[in-house]
Amino acid sequence: MLTFALPLILLVATGLGKNSAVLGGPAFRISLALTVGLVSIGTVGYSLAIARDRDTGVFQRLRVTPAPTWTIMASRWIVQLGAVLVMAIVVLVVAAVFVGITLPPQNYLFTVLVALLGSAVFLSIGQAIVGLIASADTLNAAGRLLYVPLIGLSLFGDSDRLGMTVELVSRWSPGGCLETLLSAAMGATAWSGQSWGALFASFGYTVVFAVIGIRWFRWVAH
Amino acid sequence: MTRALRVTGLRVTYGPVVAVDGIDLDVREGEIYGLLGPNGAGKTSALSAIEGLLRPAAGDIVIGDIDARAHRLQSKAQLGVQLQATSFQSNLRLVELVRLFAGLYGVTLSPAQIRERLEEIGLQHDASKRFRELSGGQQQRFSLLIATIHDPALVLLDEPTAGLDPQARRQLWDRIERFRKEGRSILLTTHSMEEAQAVCDRVAIMDHGKILTVGTPAALIAAHRDDPQVRQAAHGEVTLEDVFIALTGRELRD
Repeated sequence: MLTFALPLILLVATGLGKNSAVLGGPAFRISLALTVGLVSIGTVGYSLAIARDRDTGVFQRLRVTPAPTWTIMASRWIVQLGAVLVMAIVVLVVAAVFVGITLPPQNYLFTVLVALLGSAVFLSIGQAIVGLIASADTLNAAGRLLYVPLIGLSLFGDSDRLGMTVELVSRWSPGGCLETLLSAAMGATAWSGQSWGALFASFGYTVVFAVIGIRWFRWVAH
Repeated sequence: MTRALRVTGLRVTYGPVVAVDGIDLDVREGEIYGLLGPNGAGKTSALSAIEGLLRPAAGDIVIGDIDARAHRLQSKAQLGVQLQATSFQSNLRLVELVRLFAGLYGVTLSPAQIRERLEEIGLQHDASKRFRELSGGQQQRFSLLIATIHDPALVLLDEPTAGLDPQARRQLWDRIERFRKEGRSILLTTHSMEEAQAVCDRVAIMDHGKILTVGTPAALIAAHRDDPQVRQAAHGEVTLEDVFIALTGRELRD
């Protein structure tokens, strides 16, 4: 529930107050809401769900059936991608109907596609976390700790207020790359070399974190 | 006699630790076979290797006539498994879990058939409950139902009565007995010598990864009745537990 509520609250709240424009334009508000939703579903929600199922032996129960083991994990990814799809559509609908932010029709499609790519990035980060941390309690704490920098970094990719280094790190962080891609997908900025860079970096993040997560993943906690 | 399970030279290691050290097992059709041993003896590791949860370092596992190491998925389809710590997806209802696991084994059940299966274990009125809402005994009955949802010829039960009250334990023994009458073979692990004596046709006593002895409970008692260590362990009539203690020692295990 919180996974869906938080992006919507942010979408509405960032438009309130006299200085709301300082936070960014309509495209920024949508992309911030989507990023928060993606991190919540992909990194925190997914890794916690996997860790809990591992702790309680749900995976072992599934592994003794004739289902190939890769399908057990793939089914989880499909469910999460479905949740992201629903969340992205809900955010875009609320943005259009209640906040008055509309996009050209093709930009809606691009935005949803980028959200799905972003979810692959954050799911693979979640997979890496659950691969490296065995205990569900430790993972819960780590997930919450990571939540802030993953979202925080995505905020400063287009701003040098915290210095050039922070801007550079922010721009090429997973959240920053997602911001760049969402901005282009919504038509707020033109597709550029930086967009291509963000696209390749996102694929790179997905592959690297997924490999870490799969290589070190254990079906049992102990 | 036809074999439901044949294990030869099974060896399971965790890094430098040898959990199962070249054991042989032979479960006949329609037989209830008990694997006994203190904590850390290697029972669960042996069972996990047969279930396909662990990759053995060496040995052969043949389920029916299927080489389990070469054909992992095919062999899993022949097995019914109840794990020691069983859990199901907490947000699913019993009826959904039955449908899910039946589907994983390629079995299609109509709503009436699902109701019938739940009725067999006295949970027909709990079909819409979630697994976590069941009592310990109900959970155990439900896991056994899931383990046999595809009518397997061989059922593996890892400490099936652990934590159950006497009534629930007796009910489970009755179900195990019914499985035998239906022609299934059962391989179970247990710490309860009373259980082993009550339900098992043959038992193997295992310790430090090796099988120490195999036989019917009565034959094991008869064979070891006069051993000095058994006499020392016995309080009156020699029981299977006395034989077990004499063979595996009195020291506490982790």
